[in-house]
Amino acid sequence: MATVEVLLLLAVAAFLAGLAGSYLGIGGGIFLIPFMTLALGIDIKVAIATSLIGVIATSSGAASVYVRDHLTNLRLAMFLEVATTLGAIAGAVVGILVPNVYLFLTFGVVVLYAAASMVRIAETAKDRAYRGGEEERPLVKRLNLSSVYFDQEDQGVYRYRVERPGAGFGASAAAGVFSGLLGVGGGFIKVPAMNILMRVPMKAAVATSNFMIGVTAAASAFIYYSQGLVNPQLAAMVIVGAFTGTNLGTRLLVRSKAANVRFLFSIFLAGLGIAMAARALGLFGGVL
Amino acid sequence: MITARAGLRLVQHRIAALRRAVLTEVEDINRLIYHILRGGVIVSVAFLLFGFILAGVTGHPLPDKSIPPRLLGAELLRFSPAGYLNLGVLVLIFTPVARVLLSLLSFLEERDRAYVLMTGIVLTNLLISVVLLA
Repeated sequence: MATVEVLLLLAVAAFLAGLAGSYLGIGGGIFLIPFMTLALGIDIKVAIATSLIGVIATSSGAASVYVRDHLTNLRLAMFLEVATTLGAIAGAVVGILVPNVYLFLTFGVVVLYAAASMVRIAETAKDRAYRGGEEERPLVKRLNLSSVYFDQEDQGVYRYRVERPGAGFGASAAAGVFSGLLGVGGGFIKVPAMNILMRVPMKAAVATSNFMIGVTAAASAFIYYSQGLVNPQLAAMVIVGAFTGTNLGTRLLVRSKAANVRFLFSIFLAGLGIAMAARALGLFGGVL
Repeated sequence: MITARAGLRLVQHRIAALRRAVLTEVEDINRLIYHILRGGVIVSVAFLLFGFILAGVTGHPLPDKSIPPRLLGAELLRFSPAGYLNLGVLVLIFTPVARVLLSLLSFLEERDRAYVLMTGIVLTNLLISVVLLA
């Protein structure tokens, strides 16, 4: 079925998705699915299945490095995974009940808002540092969610306090709904939720999001697999491409300035928000 | 066959690294998770590579569809390229699940009840979504 050109193009696309995904804390499915359906003419269901495999490869490749370097907040990830996996189950049901137009419109607006707030406020070393004074929330204290990470940018060790655990939990559930619906990792919601709502420093948020994505994608990927929708040739290209991409992306992230990561992420969000709103409103022929 | 040997050596290297990690660094859960996630992807790639080599050597066609898990055993015994390509994909899919299991073990060891409960919920959700949607 697949020609050599298609396989090679897919491997290159997966490399770029893995690179961007590991740097931004997303799975990269949001780039891979449109590329496969529009540029390579692959059937949408096969494209989603292939993309889920790519998301797992990106997540595993990137998360392994971030966990080793102690960038990932393992407890926070476990706490939010409860929400994302519940959301993913709900997503399958919600997808049947609610027309997609409203979902895309809602997410488009949310994502644009997150983009705007991330551009407006640049993360400085002072923002990253632990803020004394007020008490930690009881839930944060009980679950020991606050953590420490080492930032190569300024060779500093930052202790940060996690805030608004409830709001973050809710946003993660929404991310789960979206990934259940579309077969994407949902990192575009998790990263801003952790960074803006829960005040987790940007790099720790990217690392923790990457860590969580694989679990969410694994359940859906298995379902697509047992339905015979995974094309192993395409999957092989995506795995090798994405994994290679993460080896570069993770290196870039640990050395980058947090402010730059945030800026690039907000640009990505803005583009995504516009694309989603356009899709909801049927602009550009609904191609995006 | 040089690539196959190199691939095999890479897998052996990974397994040895994992063994060392288990033996000497049990206290460092981060290190273990690193080896599980990275090892999962490398083993997956090794099976994929083996599948492509089999296809090249035997001239069997490459598969277009995933094989249901219950039929996979027979394909593997016949050394068909389809069997090993599918096995590679499955190993990758189960890598994150293995990581959650490892987290469960580490929270059990720490006797951290709240986190054992949460990890249990995540595992149950994974099972439910598989059963519900399959």
